[in-house]
Amino acid sequence: MLRRSKHALAFALIIASTVFAPMAEAGKAPNPMATVSLPNSSPLVTFRLLFNVGAASDPKGKEGLAALTASLLANGGSREMTYEQIVSAMYPMATGFNSQVDKEMTVFSGTTHVDNLPKYYQIISEMLLNPGWRADDFTRIREDALNYLKVSLRQANDEELGKEALYQFIYEAGHPYGHNNAGTIASLEKLTLDDVKQFYRDHYTQANVVVGLAGGYPKGFDEKVQRDFAARLPAGGAEKLGLPQPAKISGLEMQVIEKNTLGTAISFGFPLPVTRKDADWAALLVMQSYLGQHRSSSSYLYQRLREIRGLNYGDYAYIEYFPRGMFQFHPDPNLARQQQIFQVWIRPVEPKNGLFALRAGLYEVNKLMRDGMTEKDFEATRQFLSKFVNVLTKDQDAQLGYALDSRYYGIPSFTDYVRAQLAKLTLADVNRAIKKYLQADNLKIVVITKDAAGFKEAAVANKPSPISYTSPPPKEILEEDKLIESYKLNFNPSRVEIMPVEQVFQK
Amino acid sequence: MKKLFVAFLVLGLLMPLTASADNKIFPYKYFMDDLPNGLRLVTVPTDYPNIVALYIVVGTGSRNEIEPGKSGFAHLFEHLMFRGTEKTTPQQYNSALKRAGADSNAYTEDDRTVYHTVFSKEDFDQILSLEADRFQNLKVPVDLFKTETRAVLGEYNKNASSPTRKLYEVLRDTAFDAHTYKHTTMGYLRDVENMPNQYDYSLDFFKRYYRPEYTTIVVSGDIKHDNVLELVKKYWGNWQRGAYVPDIPTESVQKEERTAQVDWPQPTLPWIAVSYKAPAYSDEQKDKAALDLIGNLGFSPTSELYQRLVIKEQKVDVLAPDFEDHRDPYLVTIIARVKDAKDVAYVRSEIIKTIDSYKTQLVAKDKLDAVKSNLRYSFALSLDNSEAIAANLAPFIALRRTPETINKVYEIYSAITPEDLQAMAKKYFIPEHRTIVTLSQKEKPENATQK
Repeated sequence: MLRRSKHALAFALIIASTVFAPMAEAGKAPNPMATVSLPNSSPLVTFRLLFNVGAASDPKGKEGLAALTASLLANGGSREMTYEQIVSAMYPMATGFNSQVDKEMTVFSGTTHVDNLPKYYQIISEMLLNPGWRADDFTRIREDALNYLKVSLRQANDEELGKEALYQFIYEAGHPYGHNNAGTIASLEKLTLDDVKQFYRDHYTQANVVVGLAGGYPKGFDEKVQRDFAARLPAGGAEKLGLPQPAKISGLEMQVIEKNTLGTAISFGFPLPVTRKDADWAALLVMQSYLGQHRSSSSYLYQRLREIRGLNYGDYAYIEYFPRGMFQFHPDPNLARQQQIFQVWIRPVEPKNGLFALRAGLYEVNKLMRDGMTEKDFEATRQFLSKFVNVLTKDQDAQLGYALDSRYYGIPSFTDYVRAQLAKLTLADVNRAIKKYLQADNLKIVVITKDAAGFKEAAVANKPSPISYTSPPPKEILEEDKLIESYKLNFNPSRVEIMPVEQVFQK
Repeated sequence: MKKLFVAFLVLGLLMPLTASADNKIFPYKYFMDDLPNGLRLVTVPTDYPNIVALYIVVGTGSRNEIEPGKSGFAHLFEHLMFRGTEKTTPQQYNSALKRAGADSNAYTEDDRTVYHTVFSKEDFDQILSLEADRFQNLKVPVDLFKTETRAVLGEYNKNASSPTRKLYEVLRDTAFDAHTYKHTTMGYLRDVENMPNQYDYSLDFFKRYYRPEYTTIVVSGDIKHDNVLELVKKYWGNWQRGAYVPDIPTESVQKEERTAQVDWPQPTLPWIAVSYKAPAYSDEQKDKAALDLIGNLGFSPTSELYQRLVIKEQKVDVLAPDFEDHRDPYLVTIIARVKDAKDVAYVRSEIIKTIDSYKTQLVAKDKLDAVKSNLRYSFALSLDNSEAIAANLAPFIALRRTPETINKVYEIYSAITPEDLQAMAKKYFIPEHRTIVTLSQKEKPENATQK
């Protein structure tokens, strides 16, 4: 549980990754110049300036454009000030301005002490509404994006690599979600400053923006921000993002990424036709929390794979996109999407136990589908979630972020909504949803390992994969191991590929 | 670099009802109680509703791993603390936390191990009693011990894809000879692999360090001091004091510059770390505080070098100072990621030139004031919920066992002059005390030019 989040260096990854993250619901015209305001008596003021546009709107061949645009706005100069001047002006205030781009949302965020609010707002409003578009800023930001893909993601973090590769594998090229938010190496190399300006003109509009503010700002300040944005952004029109259904999965499909690395990292999942606004979401939330609550030792998968068998550092399950999970305990808000996937994240295991670990994950999902949850586990998980929502929204930045997401999904305040949904939920609802949505036979798997050919061959040939222990667990576990080691894997051989790591995110 | 703080800006603003009356940097009124067994309790009531943060700080970390072959043990021990007691199985412990909707975890550093739990106030009694039970009655059977060592190996493996982990491992190993800061908190791989055979040592480790005199309980949030104290006495009052004091080896003075190169098997951008032997944390002397300020002046985003290398010349994409507070003398490090291998020598030389400039030139007062302002606001901005308050206190508690140390350090920061910076630069930035480590992709044999 070592958590060295303060390490100066996690930094290198974070720099690049926070730069990239999401937008408005299909078929629904966003309310022009919408605002979400959460005034309170804190001396801090938090901005979340959200645009309903993201990587799903990248034009074909220009993948990464939404992220590059946001990154250039947040990390480049305005017409009034160069980027050096902005950095120097923000430094004494100990503040910054960050961008996050996901498929359908782009959010710019920052917090300032109220002492500095006028000065801070002057700087960031110019950055967003009057960008400098300097060529040297563009060169630097594009190079950061390329290095994020080439070095940070491919080479320095196998866990995030596996999770991001899984999304790409599930959605495939052609689907608007089918490329990494940061783009591809090939597309980034071709993008120009003119592309960025065009994207900005097309999408940074009154129709797409939602002004989010929280904290102890003076009365009327939120209206001032709204007026400024209305005066300086073009009106724009409602953008409809129509999404096709993700490709159908038949059997087990696998991408084995070949990389010279110590452990074997595994992620698997499938598209989930349920989001926060849907009736079955709360049932799936309970399922996910029970099966694999992020970084929680009470999660079922964590207990079976890590605590009992010592296979790895942790094992979790998700029903919503949760990037950067190795650095943080709680998800970032403003990653709302029309389409989500179910995902299991098995943290790196020793290569000799790789196939066993994959089988163990599939076996447990299969078992959950067969047996469902018990009343006791259902009640305990429901109780956990009813309280845990307080922890998720413990500071004003999170409260504001969740409020913006609730607006996107068209649901009430997140904490009220979750508690109300949980309160009316029954065990039967959860077990019905488990049967309806979970999959152990038709899903996609991404594995990162050194001996990719060996892994592929053993998996496709269904070779038994006994686990080796330093200290054998109890007899009933050894008996279960027998079932797991020969758990039948129905791979679709035409859909199993080996990919050298250098090709991932290439084009 | 530890963040610093100012109070007057925050006083009466951040938390009007709990702000202490005098001009202290840490803006909250807090209570400090010592139990007869040596346990200390720090209570910080806040106005943030409902949530309570419980941080249990043990003043032991990888610094305490003094025997050869035992690196990584403090961290392994942190894991073992989740493996049950005579009274409570891990399953019971987990279910109780789950019922409370708690967010629970732990971390280990050089000088501390911190167990932290955040939950709703109505569950305080139960969680405090569970924590007291595992600190006093931990009982891990040998088979579970061995299984947990494999989870730690899994943690080493998941970290191993990060080049900076390796960079720091080699930096410490190169810079230190005797002191236990020579190894990282994670430990050497060989020691991690051998952990399954160290069960008996784990029992000794628990007896030595999981004792009230090493432990401080920090509680912040929607709580009342009297109630907290009463419960702490009830559940923790019978814990037996220990007697063990580790003999941490002293590092002798470094006599010449040291260098090391790490060949990374994968494509990577080159990394460079330039380190100097540097003073321990102090809330009385100016040394550490002055070097903190120089680190920010010279290498933060507002510095001349950052603006030149990162923004104008675009030869570097990461440049940062790193100087965590430590109980014993440690390292002040400047770290950079260079975009092109041919610029490594140039970047190294620019970093050293910048460092040396503080020995010869006085810093402009407005620049120094900007850094002081940054530190103040960083602190104010970081205290925006009950958990953040406890989390910010934990490292200081591990060093001095009192929030007052924050106030004292701030007073030092605000008193530091350009002349102080120059004096400390001359005292510490000595080439013979320098260690430089570079990391770059291993060259392919056909065009290899190095050893």
